Amino acid sequence: MKAAKALVFPVVLIILAEIGARAGGPSDSVAPPSEIFATFLDALRDGSLLAATRDTLISAFAGLLVGAGLGLAVGLALGSIRTLDRLLELALELLRPVPSVAVIPIALVALGFGYSLEIAIVAVACFWPLLILSRAAVRGVEPRLIEVARALRLSPLQETLKIVAPAALPRIFVAFRLAAGVSLVVAVTVEIAVNPQGLGYEAMTAGQALRPALMLAYVAWIGVVGYALNVLLILAQHRLFGQAGRVEAAR
Amino acid sequence: MNGSEPALIEFREVDLAFGDHLVLGKLSFAVRRGEVVCMVGSSGSGKTTALRVASGLIRPTRGEVTFAGAPVRGPRRDVAIVFQDYSKALLPWRRAAGNVALALEAMGAPRAERRDRIAALLKRVGLAAFADKYPSQMSGGMQQRLQIARCLAQEPAALMMDEPFGALDEMTRQTLQDEMLDIARGTGATIFFVTHDLEEAIYLGDRVIGLKPHPGRVGVELAVDLPRPRNQVTTRESPEFLRLRHKLYDFIYASESGART
Amino acid sequence: MRALGWRLAGLAVVAALIALWGEIAALKLVSPVFLPTPARVWTALEHGFSQSDLGAKLVGTVSHMLGGWAAASIAGVALGALIGSSKAAREYIAPTLEFLRPLPASAVIPVAIALFGLTPQMALGVIAFGSIWPVLLAATRGFAAIEPRLVEVERVLGLTCWQGVVKISLPSAAPDILAGLRLGLTVSLILAVVCEMIAGLDGLGQWVLLAARAYKSADIFAGVALLGAIGVVANAGLSVVEARALRWRAPSAR
Repeated sequence: MKAAKALVFPVVLIILAEIGARAGGPSDSVAPPSEIFATFLDALRDGSLLAATRDTLISAFAGLLVGAGLGLAVGLALGSIRTLDRLLELALELLRPVPSVAVIPIALVALGFGYSLEIAIVAVACFWPLLILSRAAVRGVEPRLIEVARALRLSPLQETLKIVAPAALPRIFVAFRLAAGVSLVVAVTVEIAVNPQGLGYEAMTAGQALRPALMLAYVAWIGVVGYALNVLLILAQHRLFGQAGRVEAAR
Repeated sequence: MNGSEPALIEFREVDLAFGDHLVLGKLSFAVRRGEVVCMVGSSGSGKTTALRVASGLIRPTRGEVTFAGAPVRGPRRDVAIVFQDYSKALLPWRRAAGNVALALEAMGAPRAERRDRIAALLKRVGLAAFADKYPSQMSGGMQQRLQIARCLAQEPAALMMDEPFGALDEMTRQTLQDEMLDIARGTGATIFFVTHDLEEAIYLGDRVIGLKPHPGRVGVELAVDLPRPRNQVTTRESPEFLRLRHKLYDFIYASESGART
Repeated sequence: MRALGWRLAGLAVVAALIALWGEIAALKLVSPVFLPTPARVWTALEHGFSQSDLGAKLVGTVSHMLGGWAAASIAGVALGALIGSSKAAREYIAPTLEFLRPLPASAVIPVAIALFGLTPQMALGVIAFGSIWPVLLAATRGFAAIEPRLVEVERVLGLTCWQGVVKISLPSAAPDILAGLRLGLTVSLILAVVCEMIAGLDGLGQWVLLAARAYKSADIFAGVALLGAIGVVANAGLSVVEARALRWRAPSAR
């Protein structure tokens, strides 16, 4: 019942779009949903859609691994070592507000067009959420548990492995999930702005070639990929962490 | 305070069902103008529901609820409700004075008068020194006083009080009970007071109505003939108080074991 | 006092890092084409403001960002109020909104270009469209979560619809709305930069891209530094507003 209600609005919108687009006659900028879907199937069949998807996902994923990995490492260090945290606080506060897209020109000069450019920007974008949230996750470990570790006289390594890491893991996974969303968004953005590859680029090219159905097919597909990725990661989170994960998952 | 006074609030054979579950069944009682009527009952007897019906927050499934002779169609400004969860009924983003002001704003009171009226009300409930504090900076008892102040700002004909002191500690509760009696005497407002504390009910009321559960209906009605002003120590020790207390306890015990069978 | 000590130490760390940067650049460990010295960046900033139009570009980006964000915020709060307050609206519309949430706002750029061309209107539309989502979702959540007891108080006091919105609903939803506004501002800055890059609009996005094409690394860094500065100032501004608006919060509830 709830699912049915949720579908009413989008279905109505799609129907309205269909009628509206058809009524306006052939156009350079809009296309009816039926045509969009047909074009989507064509692009799927001839492999161009999948190739572009692959390009975008490779860059996004690689950037995520690099950026989130670095962010996690630094975040864990900052969370555990108060002195380091305090010393670096100002430096990080000055660097963080720089939007990842602003780094595009620097990376462009250094790396040229292609995968490395995109991976670099995605990495920058994913670095910060992981740093902030993993630091918070470490800091947020129940102090009582740390006291237990001290009482049991665990070595720093044991304390990290047996107490801190498992306690912080659910929140770190949530950070990772957020960063994954960011990685896709940033990858597509870089493609739209400068990089001649991937889903964003295909959408832009289709638009410039006055092929609205193809352009909108790519735009819609980008949405579907983003949504699917999010759903997959939420499922993974529930599988891995069950109730413990659910408590932490404040979207 | 005697039988010839007209009824301000009247319930006539009121049924209230939530889905299939009948919470109140043929509930009939009256509250006269100027009276303090306390309603007690075991858990699930529907006393809070009765208060919410009397306040106009819920419509009865069957039967009639009237206020000053006219049928109750919804909440009204001159029927103020003092909720048990006081912190949720106050605006956390306004200071004490601002919270009281809300009632005056709703009533469209002239701006020039507001400051003085708010000051007087806060003084009446003992919060004059806390006018510029936020609710989060006040204790539970103070927050409840603030809610009462806002309710008094509505210049109510009737005060509906839903276990208002239930969440407070014993000392604060007794202080507020006496303050409430003071206010009642001063304003002459009619008070409908729901509580699970039998002694509180006798201490405060002119009459105590006990509800039988499943469904909620009147089981016992006691007239409280204790002298006013009441006193926390002497009144509670008086033979009449103890007699009434005994009667009420027996009633509650009987209705609870009845419910169990 | 101790806090001040740490702040100064942090400042020393920043100074040390800049010095390190200067050393690496001076020793040409990284090509000066990619990494200018701090001194050259500073010169580029001075030069840009005094002899070139860096100032105009800065104003351009800020106005694009703020214009789109302001429009989106007002619309977002208004729509969020409508959707959040109505149970029916929430059941029918909210799931679609949740579905659209993880979508890249930049993906709408090709569509906007197709509809409006490479114009400032296109940019404004894109920025507004992108930054409305966080505000809309936050406002919907805020308006949906109003304490039911306060709604009853509203009924008892006989507040008019408008009074209810202004005196109770808006302040109640304010914490959520402010969080959404903050996110929206971040999005609007990013989209402003991207639109400037693509559409050649007057702004820092265009400045840094042109500098990249001309291999003027000092100019690039100068532009990037300014963009970072915009981010800092914008966030700080919002923090001040937030602190003032939410000062009634009990210290634990943050």
